[in-house]
Amino acid sequence: MHKWEYVIRRLAMAVVVLASVSIITFVIARIIPSDPAAAWVGSHPTQEQIAKARQQLGLDRPLYEQYLRYMRSLLRGDLGTSVRSHQPVATDLKTFLPATMELVLAGMVMAIVIGIPLGVLSGARKGGPLDHVTRLFSIAGVSMPTFWLGLLLQLLFFKRLGLLPLGSRVSTEIALYHPVTRITGFYLVDTAVTGNWVAFKDALNHIILPAFTLGTYAIGLTIRMTRSTMIEVLNEKYILAARVSGLPERTVLFVLALKNAIIPTITVLGLSFVYSLTGALLVEVIFSWPGLGTYVTNAVLSIDFPVIVSVTLVVAVFYVFINLFLDLVQAMIDPRVTLQ
Amino acid sequence: MDRERYPSSVLAVGLLIVALLATQCTTPTPQPTVEEKPAEVAEATAAPQPTEPPTAEAAPNIFVYAHPTSFPDLDPAISYSNDSVIMSNCYETLTFYNPPGSDTLLAPVLATDWETNEEATEWTFHLRQGVTFQDGEPFNAEAVKYSIEKTKELGVGAAYIWDAVETVEVVDESTIKFKLSYPAPLDLVASAGYAAWIYSPKTYEQKGTEWFNEGHCAGTGPYTIENYERGSRLVMTRNENYWGGWRAGQFDKIVFEIVEDPVVRQQMIEAGTASFTYEPPPDNLPALAARDDLVVYTNPSYQNLLGLLNTHKPPLDNKLVRQALSYSFPYAQFIEGVMQDRATQAHGPVPAGMWGHSDDLLQYSYDLEKAKQLLAEAGYPDGGFKLLLTYAAGDLDEQQLGELWKADLAKLGIELEIQGMNWEAQWDLSKSDPQNAQDVLVMYWWPDYISPYSFLYSMFHSEEEILFNLAYYSSPEYDQLIDTAYELSGSDRAKATDMFIQAQQILIDDAVSLYFYDLGNTHIARTNVTGYADNPAYPHVVFVYQLTQAE
Amino acid sequence: MATTPNVERAGLQTEHRTARFREYHLMLQAFRRDILAVLSLVVIVLFVLGAILAPLLTPYAGQGRGDPNILEKFRPPSSAHPLGTDYLGRDVWARILFGGRSSLSIGFLVVTVASVIGIPLGATAGYYGGWIDNLIMRITDMFLAFPPLLLAIAIAAALGPSFINAMIAIAFTWWPWYARLVRAQTLSLREQYFVEAARSIGVSDVTIIVRHILPNVLAPVLVQATMDIGSAILTGAAISFVGLGVRPPTPDWGEMISTGRIYFIERPWFAGSAGAAIFLVTLAFNLLGDAMRDVADPRTRRAVA
Repeated sequence: MHKWEYVIRRLAMAVVVLASVSIITFVIARIIPSDPAAAWVGSHPTQEQIAKARQQLGLDRPLYEQYLRYMRSLLRGDLGTSVRSHQPVATDLKTFLPATMELVLAGMVMAIVIGIPLGVLSGARKGGPLDHVTRLFSIAGVSMPTFWLGLLLQLLFFKRLGLLPLGSRVSTEIALYHPVTRITGFYLVDTAVTGNWVAFKDALNHIILPAFTLGTYAIGLTIRMTRSTMIEVLNEKYILAARVSGLPERTVLFVLALKNAIIPTITVLGLSFVYSLTGALLVEVIFSWPGLGTYVTNAVLSIDFPVIVSVTLVVAVFYVFINLFLDLVQAMIDPRVTLQ
Repeated sequence: MDRERYPSSVLAVGLLIVALLATQCTTPTPQPTVEEKPAEVAEATAAPQPTEPPTAEAAPNIFVYAHPTSFPDLDPAISYSNDSVIMSNCYETLTFYNPPGSDTLLAPVLATDWETNEEATEWTFHLRQGVTFQDGEPFNAEAVKYSIEKTKELGVGAAYIWDAVETVEVVDESTIKFKLSYPAPLDLVASAGYAAWIYSPKTYEQKGTEWFNEGHCAGTGPYTIENYERGSRLVMTRNENYWGGWRAGQFDKIVFEIVEDPVVRQQMIEAGTASFTYEPPPDNLPALAARDDLVVYTNPSYQNLLGLLNTHKPPLDNKLVRQALSYSFPYAQFIEGVMQDRATQAHGPVPAGMWGHSDDLLQYSYDLEKAKQLLAEAGYPDGGFKLLLTYAAGDLDEQQLGELWKADLAKLGIELEIQGMNWEAQWDLSKSDPQNAQDVLVMYWWPDYISPYSFLYSMFHSEEEILFNLAYYSSPEYDQLIDTAYELSGSDRAKATDMFIQAQQILIDDAVSLYFYDLGNTHIARTNVTGYADNPAYPHVVFVYQLTQAE
Repeated sequence: MATTPNVERAGLQTEHRTARFREYHLMLQAFRRDILAVLSLVVIVLFVLGAILAPLLTPYAGQGRGDPNILEKFRPPSSAHPLGTDYLGRDVWARILFGGRSSLSIGFLVVTVASVIGIPLGATAGYYGGWIDNLIMRITDMFLAFPPLLLAIAIAAALGPSFINAMIAIAFTWWPWYARLVRAQTLSLREQYFVEAARSIGVSDVTIIVRHILPNVLAPVLVQATMDIGSAILTGAAISFVGLGVRPPTPDWGEMISTGRIYFIERPWFAGSAGAAIFLVTLAFNLLGDAMRDVADPRTRRAVA
């Protein structure tokens, strides 16, 4: 009984929160001094053109009416039309979202592949040389300004070593001679699935630096979290028992201990994922990555009002549902939560 | 931040991926808000066709243009922006404005010759025969009539250049006659960089703006659009049936790579991945010019930068103060230090190279003594006031302009506050009550078709409702001068030129604006690309048909 | 009967206060033993002093503030200009020193403002519970639903680029964390005996919150705040990077990276130094925060004997 009540209450709250988010974003975007009608028409518009555009875009109606109109079309799946590109925002999102997702996920993969083992080992050998080095690395990771790191990596790997490309997702040659067939929008997936290995290698080359730059924060956070929970877990009696009974250290660490340390670590991963969505903004600018970050940054700086509102809303929906999901899962597991 | 949660963030992530993949399936029908044409449901973009990888014998010549911005509109009746680099390769106009230094002002393209009556109110164009559109339809007078009337009807973008046209008459298959309600230089108008393209009536009627914006073309030009990956690149390929025919060495394909980062553009042109580009990081031009494998073309464009002064707000309502300001800007130092080869100091509001420009007009120079004198005369011997200057946020040249000027004005006791703003925000501010608006508005201007009227009218003609006359200037004498000159442009160009020059003198005397610089165009090309002739009438457009790839 | 409650109350309070002082003393001693912690503190103090005393630490104070020196643009590091010059010929070392003023202040201000808003809200929510708690938590949910950088950028864009507006925009997205933190702490404290006791004597709610709960909440908040200053500085730099922070010619580290970015590959010194400055300061704050956390928690505090 309690649990269902809780679920329903949280769902209702989520809806309220989303509604308020939409109102706030709408209002903020309208406060920004600009003239969407003029922006829509382009450079050197005439008075008639602006007036006409204002009418067509519904900008002469009162604010609440504009908001309702916006919400109504939202429910139909129409996220508005960009004032700059004259494209439906939904189409633009379809184009740019996969690029960002691929980047963020690649960063998370790095966080898991690099962060967890390092965290485990570092926690196991607490106080040792590896531990110190790892701790330094991890704390450097969370202190590093992403845009600066990106520049440094470009300087090193592109300019000095000539190993990796400067930016974008694929090189022009590949786009012309071995184009990527767009299935999911994830180049690594699409090229692998169609057996286009030349393009796969090229796409991989292009994603390494930006993914690492984006993932640095997540890597640092993961190491720290894994390490600290590892330390706690390793002090438990059952670990001592396992060691005493002769289990190889590798098993003790990566199977027994990790299993229990993994849970808070996954929390951190989830949080890093969400943080990376916004970190992607800066990384994409530096690496000319044609994703949501570039799209949104340009929209905010050029005050493309429909884009700002819709994208903020979309990302907010993501956030709210992740939080809701986590809340609900916790409610299922931990009865104390619902009794509050 | 610590959250005491027990997750299954793994599940959450998985859910996200599923949700994401689901978005690939939903196709919301796009609602056109401008175009009256019924829009078709977005067709799935065809899978890009791989180009044949270069073999020894049949290596296709590919021209790669690393372009700094993306392309909003590919509809020829509407397009009014950087898309002209694409459009000009796919569509053609009746006449063509020749690059500076040519023998004649205009060249025939879709019109082989033309004539006008004495008052320039009737224009007859004789059209080229044997031309077909890329969709197979024949090019004729009907098509021209349709294109121009349709563009006028939609009234977007630069369509106003056809305002003088009252009727369009099809005399026969290859002759068309325009009757104007007032005299206008229609031969110049027909050569405009926007709103003057001729497109296939059949295709335009059948398809809609959506179809064009997906990456399709229905013109008479030498290239047609093959594939468009929004945000990344657009590929054009040869129109084999082009009326001009093809010779060896010409390019088979054009690839427009959208590269917003100037660092990457520079890298591409250096590596040879791009054949052509512009706007590298500003201070790197000398290094690029020094390279053997690159050619840097620096030519005057028809774009200039002005600082419009708020003539309605004290102290700038005083002519003497405005003149003082005009003497306070460090022109030489700014050009030398910041712009270097990219610009020259402006000589009035009409840029160098355009007809109607005159080097005999008074040009203000950096003279702090004179400025002080004028200020004293005006009653501000030690300055003592504050000014707000707005410029385009993100534009480093404009920002440095502000920073340099601030230092010099400080020497006169004037405090200059510089504020980078988004263009619409700036414009909004300047269109509000002049007492609350900025004091100096820094902005670029460029013409829609080649005439001084574009500059002199748009920015300085009296306006009831302020549009671009952001200095709020109003002088009936000036208005009359330029209006008459405009009407004479078609019939008596020499007289028109004189009158335009007179008008500029008035503006300069009244110090309505500062004329900072005439922006040069700097384009960079690989040396193995020959035949490029910079043409400021079509900014940044490369007519790839005229180029050949040397080996 | 009038005296007894007062005496008891006073007794409770003194006992409490001495316990707290002992605790602080232990923390301070443990802190002093942690080398990294002390080092970070030194670094931070150096940066702050550098920013305050900027005009005294460079011969190019005018350039630091914004005077152009166009003839010397893009000079690489030399004896005259140890960190080179920027795109207007200004000495980079001077720009870094003066830039510290806005870049560091934004960190401190954001965290302060966020705490000032978040702490009382969180304490109220945690203490009273019920609908007040619900209301406040829903409001924080709303703010947390926004992608933080995006919201900050949007607000800064709406208010116009300036130092104060950037600070407001970031603080706006930051306070919910403090509210939540304080609320959680308050919730657990509320159940403890001394609160029960105080309430039973008849001490007012407000007094309980202010005198008993807040001081105990202070330690974790302080730790969080210290670590957050680093992140706040980073976020402030990101806002300036997109062009929405201080206005030129006022120097700012984020803005230096933004403008210097396109020249970085060939002329790395000014974007590079600005980035290094941000990195060092953030690192110092993070290390400091880490050390403070270790020290505040008796379990992780290293034995002082």
